[in-house]
Amino acid sequence: MLEKKASRRSVVLSGLAALASGRPAHAFGDVGAFNPRVIVAGGKRLTGPHSTGPAAWSMELINRTSAPARLAPREVALDRPELCNEPFAIWAGDSDVGSLSVAERRGLSKFIRLGGVLVVDDSEPGQGSFGRSVRRELLRILPESPPVRLDPSHVVYKTFYIVDRPVGRVLGPPTIDAIVRGKSAQVLLLSHDLLGALARTDEGSYSFPTEPASYQQRQHAMRFAVNIAMYVLCFDYKDDQVHAPFLMRRRAQAR
Amino acid sequence: MIERGFGVAEGVSPALSWTLLGLLALGFVLLLLEARGRKVTSWIAISGLVTAIFVAAAVLRPTRVNTRGTDLFPKVVVLLDRSWRLDLKDGERTREQVALDALHALQKQLKQTRVEVLGFGEGPPQPFVENNASKSVRSTDSDLTAALRALSAAPGERPKALVVVSDGRLTSPVEGASSDTLKELGARLGVPIHTIQVADTAPPDASIRKVATTGAAVAHQKLALEVTVGCSGSLACDELPLTVEELLHGEPPALLAQGTAKVRDGLATVALPFTLERAGRRLVRVRLDAPEGDRVPANNQRLLTFDVTRERVRLLHVAGRPTYDVRALRMWLKADESIDLIAFFILRTNSDAALVTDDSELALIPFPVDELFTEHLPSFDAVILQDIDAVEYKLERHLPALARYVRAGGGLIMVGGPSAFMGGGYAGSPLSEVLPVTLPDPDAAPAVDMASFEPRVTQAGRAAPALRGVRELLGERLPTMLGSNTLGPLRPGAIALWEHPDRRAGQDSMPMLALGDSGDGRAIALGVDGTHLLQWSELGERGAGRAYGALWEGLVGWLMRDPRYESARLELTRECRAGAPASLNITRLPGAAVDVKVTLERLGESGTARPQPPVTLRMEGDVETATVPLGALEEGGYTATVHIGSSPPARFDFACESGGPAFADSRPDPALLERISKATGGVSLRASDASKLQAPPPTHVESQRVVAPLLPAWIWALLAASSIGAHWYARRRAGLL
Repeated sequence: MLEKKASRRSVVLSGLAALASGRPAHAFGDVGAFNPRVIVAGGKRLTGPHSTGPAAWSMELINRTSAPARLAPREVALDRPELCNEPFAIWAGDSDVGSLSVAERRGLSKFIRLGGVLVVDDSEPGQGSFGRSVRRELLRILPESPPVRLDPSHVVYKTFYIVDRPVGRVLGPPTIDAIVRGKSAQVLLLSHDLLGALARTDEGSYSFPTEPASYQQRQHAMRFAVNIAMYVLCFDYKDDQVHAPFLMRRRAQAR
Repeated sequence: MIERGFGVAEGVSPALSWTLLGLLALGFVLLLLEARGRKVTSWIAISGLVTAIFVAAAVLRPTRVNTRGTDLFPKVVVLLDRSWRLDLKDGERTREQVALDALHALQKQLKQTRVEVLGFGEGPPQPFVENNASKSVRSTDSDLTAALRALSAAPGERPKALVVVSDGRLTSPVEGASSDTLKELGARLGVPIHTIQVADTAPPDASIRKVATTGAAVAHQKLALEVTVGCSGSLACDELPLTVEELLHGEPPALLAQGTAKVRDGLATVALPFTLERAGRRLVRVRLDAPEGDRVPANNQRLLTFDVTRERVRLLHVAGRPTYDVRALRMWLKADESIDLIAFFILRTNSDAALVTDDSELALIPFPVDELFTEHLPSFDAVILQDIDAVEYKLERHLPALARYVRAGGGLIMVGGPSAFMGGGYAGSPLSEVLPVTLPDPDAAPAVDMASFEPRVTQAGRAAPALRGVRELLGERLPTMLGSNTLGPLRPGAIALWEHPDRRAGQDSMPMLALGDSGDGRAIALGVDGTHLLQWSELGERGAGRAYGALWEGLVGWLMRDPRYESARLELTRECRAGAPASLNITRLPGAAVDVKVTLERLGESGTARPQPPVTLRMEGDVETATVPLGALEEGGYTATVHIGSSPPARFDFACESGGPAFADSRPDPALLERISKATGGVSLRASDASKLQAPPPTHVESQRVVAPLLPAWIWALLAASSIGAHWYARRRAGLL
């Protein structure tokens, strides 16, 4: 059994090796792996310690779940056709993104309308300028879909772990705003610096302390990150009726 | 024939004639009264009478009339019952033979009539010609009412009499029809209806009289079958066992329900509830265990065809790990309101470290593999196994049941990935035998190949309705796949829609998307894990991401036998009757000229049963329909598999009955025939007395009429004037003027 698991992982890792070698293609079994691609918009890209967050996110997913993930996620520009090659991307930053170009707006609109999921992660939630600017641009692209507050019973809180609230490097607000289209929350607007909680140094230690400093908070942030990845991969699987009585019992036990 | 007579001149109306005759008679009476009072001589009376006659003749100018004509034989219509029921035997002879003998006797007896023989059954009566071909136009029903209605509506000469030759077990009018209803039968044509009874004694027989269902047949929902059992002809019936079975392809019949009919006063009704799990055409056999002495075994069973619908397609989607491919499939399945989806994804393996102190922090439930693949498996219309390791997740022990489930009519899609097919431990398993592809020995070939490739659409893929949607959006281009599962050659009868451009499976290119029938079920093998690229890729974007949905709609539609994705529409030209020639109508979409191969196999027999030799024909490009003769078939359930060119085969299940509803009630009903005759002014006779039927009188038709005056008009005028003068003279001599 372990051999098979190893074999499967090796398939994924061989794909990662291909990535590392600079080849654009991945391996069989890797094409559908979770890939937290980082958005480049208006020439602004994620730099500094936060840029290690996506790879750490993938690593946590691989270690904790059966889901395959890419350990070296790439950047993707909003105005590039590659944006629509996969259904997930994360847009993180700490300052105003400025006004998106027409091509960028068109690209993002196409991505959303195809059913893609976008996580907007404000690296400086205390300041909030990044989050506000992204909301502003999203409203221009999707005026018919303003952000709404996700209900605490939303599936993202139970896709893998049972979590009560969103958590990142900072504790942040206890709820998530999201742009919901149809039955799907397609844009998750986080004010918790999720990538900051995941980011690591070359030595393997965490790049940023949590605020307030707490091991528990970081663990909860990782769990929340895993849940988001599982939401991307499984959609509303945990909302299925077959899971309902089980999850209700678990929640009752947790209280 | 010539007839002679007298008349009056043309132009003299009957009113004038009668008025004149009245006046003359009055004059003659006055003359007689005068003669009595004045004692006139007889000459005056005689001359007065002669004068009156000549005056009348001068006015009427009598003529001689010669007519030439013929006596036409009256038209008599003989309605011969053409129900299959007349194949029942009374003694050594069938009712059909008795009816034909009666017909011959009638034709002999009614020589002075014009006899038209029509067969009646369903709808308007048809001309009856006593030869082999006429046997093919038999029917289940004996609808005399419909036949008479059609006759009365038909143009042309009306018959003078009707003769119905039947055993009286009519579909309409029914046994207890009112006298008014029966009178109305004759009133339509205004003629008497004579009846000839071809049978009068019920044979010793226990039979399935009627099978009725309450509501429509819906997959997974209980259906109540109400079976009426009859016992007649002094047969000792008490408790008669009944069984309900489903006839399957390549499998022995599957028992659905059992019951006992407790016969009271010759009748019993039993409710037999059962559930059909699979949608589509399903054949169900109802069997009655008749007591000893039963003389009509053909009506001890019925073969029923159910067009089972579904409220929603119930799918089980099991994935070995969450990926974008799983996500895409789930989102598509969930978006389709007609699909009831039950999904289980493996989210954590034993080697994953979830880093929790207590499992209650996880939203995970154990994978209920045993429960799913034993208790609940029959409730699903199809199972999708996506990249799941059968060994690691203990699915292995359920693979035999899953294979049986497919053969019994379930659907299966195995979607590729590192843990699918050979990589998932399926090679050599019972499940691999129902896949449309063989799986090589894991020691002989690698389970997967890492080389990127663009799947190539095969000729069958170009013709397959299941891929029409993708073709319309993307043409023949497909996204580049990042590797493939290793699949072996196609199984017999399976079709490859996509193939690998470089890899080989035996002599042929390796199939990448293959589909095929297995028993009553269908299976699809998809050897790639990137169909989501039909939505999420630059190529997919060309079709606005809709190509992904189009592919899966076609695949699931084909799996569920949605007619839109079948290569042809098949139907019998008419109800199949055991021993009578049957034929199949094939309707296909217009296209290129193709060869068509039709294979016929019996249902409800083990897989070792050999199919009948296939029938082949060619359909030219402009031909959309064809009729294939299937020959005279024995009683039973059949499946016709039709290969049209390289398209995936279409299948049609049907039943051939030897008894069927026509034999359901073997009792003749001479009393009904007598009532019909009595109500319409006809006579009812036994078949042996058919020669005693009286023919209606002939009809005379004039063909020539010659009118000639007895004397020229001027002679009549001269005679009238002379007689008036003579009478005047006689009266003067007698002193009456």
